[in-house]
Order: sequence, then C-alpha cells, then structure tokens
Amino acid sequence: MQKSRSLAFAFVAPALLVLAAILGWPLVSAVLLSLQDVRTIGSQGQWVGFTNYSTVISNPMFWTSVGMSIVWVVANAALQTVLALMAALTLNQNFPGVKIARTWIILTWIVPTVVVVIIWRWLFSTSGGMINPLMMQTGIVSRPVGFFSTPWTAMATLIFINSWRWFPFIALMMLAGLTRIPADLYEAARIDGANGWKRFTRITWPLLAPTLGVLTVVGTLLSFNVFDIIWLLTAGGPAGGTRTLPVMIYETAFKGYKLSEAATISVLATMLLMAFALVATRWLAKEGDSR
Amino acid sequence: MKRSLPATLLLGLSGLFLLLLIGMPFWWVVTGSFKLPQEIIARVPTMVPHSFTLQHFAKLLSGSDYPVYMINSLLVAGISTAITLVLSVPAAYAFFRLAFPGREALYRIILLAYAFPSIVVLIPLFGMFARIGLIDTLAALVIINVTFALPFSIWMLRSFFASVPKEIEEAALMDGAPPTVILRRIMIPLIAPGIASVGIFAFISAWTEYVFASVLILSDAKRTVPVGFSGIIGQYQIDWGLLLSGASLAVLPVVILFALVGRWFVSGLTEGAVK
Repeated sequence: MQKSRSLAFAFVAPALLVLAAILGWPLVSAVLLSLQDVRTIGSQGQWVGFTNYSTVISNPMFWTSVGMSIVWVVANAALQTVLALMAALTLNQNFPGVKIARTWIILTWIVPTVVVVIIWRWLFSTSGGMINPLMMQTGIVSRPVGFFSTPWTAMATLIFINSWRWFPFIALMMLAGLTRIPADLYEAARIDGANGWKRFTRITWPLLAPTLGVLTVVGTLLSFNVFDIIWLLTAGGPAGGTRTLPVMIYETAFKGYKLSEAATISVLATMLLMAFALVATRWLAKEGDSR
Repeated sequence: MKRSLPATLLLGLSGLFLLLLIGMPFWWVVTGSFKLPQEIIARVPTMVPHSFTLQHFAKLLSGSDYPVYMINSLLVAGISTAITLVLSVPAAYAFFRLAFPGREALYRIILLAYAFPSIVVLIPLFGMFARIGLIDTLAALVIINVTFALPFSIWMLRSFFASVPKEIEEAALMDGAPPTVILRRIMIPLIAPGIASVGIFAFISAWTEYVFASVLILSDAKRTVPVGFSGIIGQYQIDWGLLLSGASLAVLPVVILFALVGRWFVSGLTEGAVK
C-alpha cells in the first residue's frame, strides 16, 4: 500500500508541478502585483495596498468593459447553444455521410485563430469579399456594409465569428448527451402516437436539459476568455466598442505600461468569473435535485 | 426506421445549412488562394475558380518569412505534444486507478484550471520568464502549451482508462504485475485511440496558440505561424492572395493530422463528455 502510494505521487507529481509553477504561482503573483505600483516589466514596485483597486473601480472604462464582457458572453452563449443544438440534433440522425460530418464539423475549431480571422475579414470585407457582393446582388443593401466600422455591428460580427468557431465543439458534447437517451423511449412514444415535435418536447428536451445547462456554463467560461479573435479583428475598436475585459487587461499591460493596474483588472475579472461559476453550479445542482 | 416527408425535408435543410455554414468559408478561402488577384477582388464572386495560379504560394514561400514560422510552429507543437503525453498519461492513470490522499480534490482543481482565464497569468509569467531568461525562446512556448493542454488531456485520458474492461486489468493484477507494467504493457496499448486524441488536442492547441506567442517572442526569426502571419496581415496594403494562401497552408497540417486520427479525437471528446 505504502509503495503504491509513493508510486501514485511519482505519476501525478510532474504534471502537478508544471501546473503549480505555470498556473498556480503566477496567479498568486498576479494578486501580489495588484497590490504594488509596477508599471513596466522588471521594474521594482512599492506596496500600495488597495490603491489600484480603487483606481480601477472608479474608472468608468472598466465598467464599460465589464458590460461588454457580459454582452459578449451572453450573446455567444445564446448563439452557440442554438447553433450547437441544431447541429447535434441533425448529427444524431442517420443519413449517408453522417460519420464524416461528425468528424469534420469540428474543422472551425481546429484551425488557428489567425486563419479564422483572415477567412472572415475577407468574407466581410468591403472590397471584394463575398458577403457584401452577395447582399448587393440580392438587393438587401445598395452599398457595401462596413461590418467592422461601427461599435455595434463590429460586436455583432465578432459574436457571430466566435460562435461559428465554437459551436461545433459544443455540438459534439451535446451529441454525446443525445446518444445517451435510450432509443426505446422514442419507440414507445411513437407507438403511443406522439409526433416529432411532441417527442422532442417530452423526451429529448427534458433529458438533454442537464447537459445543456452544464455546456452553457462551460461555454460561458470559455468565451469569457476569448482574446485573440477580438484583438486580431478589431483590437477592441472601433471607439472601444469591442473592448471586453481580456482586451482591456492586455491593453493596460502592454500598451499602457501599467502592469499593476492590469493585474488588478485581471484579479477582479477572475473573481467575477468565479462568482458566476459558483452561482451557476449551485443553480445547476438545484435544478438537478428538483427533477 | 422510416422518416416522414417533412422530417426528411427538415433534416436535409439543416444538413445543408450546416454544410454551407462550415464548408463554404473554407471552400472560398482555399479556392481563392489559387485565383488570380483580379478574380479574388472581382465584384461578382466566383464559386468555382476561373483562373489558376500558384503565384501567391510562390510569393509566400520565397518572399516572406512564412517558411520560418512554419518550422517554428511545427517544432513547438511537436515537442509540446510529446511532453504533454509523457506528463498526462501517468497522471491520468493515477487519478483513475491509484489511491492517494487528496485525489478527488486535486482532480477537481485540475478541471477548474481548464476554464481558467489565461490572460490573468500572462503578466506575472512574462516577469517570471524574463528573470530566468526564457523570453524570446521557443522553450517558453513549449512550457506554456504543455501547461494549458494538461488539464483537458488528463480529463480525457482518464475517461479512456475508465472505458477499459475491468477484467483485463484484474487478470494482470492477479498475475502480480506492478502498476508500471500494467500501465505500459496493457493499458497504453488498449487506450491508443485516447492517446492519439490527446496528441491531436495538444498539437492543435499549440499550433493555434496566439496570445502567449505574441508576447513572449520578440525576434521575427522565432515567431510561430499565428503571430508571424498576423504580422504579414498588417504589412503594406492588404494582399488577399498572399493571406488566403497563407491561411490555406496554416490549415494543412491540422487537416492532415485530423484526416489520420480525427475520428478517434471526436469519439474521445464525446465519450469523455458522457462520464
């Protein structure tokens, strides 16, 4: 027993050490950094207590960014879930080529962000591109639309692109939940004369709901962290219209050279995210009990 | 099982919608990279290319640092994948089979790390790496990629271990085989698809990583594809032919990898989600 225990430690220790050194310790450092006044990397800072926190909290730009992150997360969660549910229901059927579709649907998720960025910058471009010419041909608009030129259209376009990238991943997770629903339930319902819609609302939906809940929480956490798509497409613009919290952290640290302030924002963002995760998992557990 | 006509129609429509939504952008980009410049920016977009040229690829490979970025990316992604596997296979096995104090708590912390906002550790890590001289090295990127791939890899491998029939392991235990031998001789061969899946995951996340590579690498000769290529985007006026061919090339390695072992990755993803 003693021997197997030390063996277990030998098995997990290397992985845990890496995680502790590269995630755990920096997390502690971020908190320490937020209590100092370091501006550039390598320079020494003084301890300033919670000064940075009061600076950040009284900065209206911070609250605008919080609001944008909330819009970003909620809209992405909604769009992703709808697209993913549709894809999962489709892939759960039997049709020629379904096996290939189940593998390759995830194509959008396995390509580098920079490729996603080029694809959509080109498709949404005002010179050439695909979407503007198509919209003009069909007469939806008379002039090219600058998708990235106003704050709200830029935000909406980014949300679409990010959801496009992530929904197949969520869809495959949902598909796993769908395949777990026993087929004889559907058979029984069919014999009782329930139509397709009834079978969906009475069997699929209630049985899939827990999976959907978990995936929405996971999707929310993951989309909160998205930085590269936004940075590469709009860099937080136009006029700060897409400056979510990760963008603001990056800007503050590496463009504004206020490291401690950036660390403060990131600590606050993490706390916000943790609070959400806590509330969400509690709520999911409660929903699960009441079922 | 027979389907009614409206159900078939609905299925066909949603299938078509998905195919267009996912396939169309890639089709346009890949075909676009072979079109002549004037066709790329034509007022009326062409579905099937009318012209064929390799000039964009030639320009990309001989007139830019793209090949250097490609080699750096392949190095970083390859080494990150190997190290991730070496670290995550034993760890996942221990979390699955071996008893030790704090097992469940540690496992949960590792899962939490997967949803962790990476931007939070970016700033302290830059300072840390600067102190130990890791800034502007590919090693720094390997360390980062391994760290961020570990939580998901351990989670996925654990569910693959759980899918091995218990009897096989028990028979080996009866024969008096120690855990190291069981892992190496019995479990690893049995979960080969799982190892392939985790390998793909580690490779893809390293291949696509942008944020850390953009901050930790300073010299152009050490840039990876995502960062180096996004630098090309910003240069001069936009040369769509160059960008489309670069995008097509950046997709190629992951597509080849996925064509070989993608099926396992998807089954690993869905099996893991059920557990």
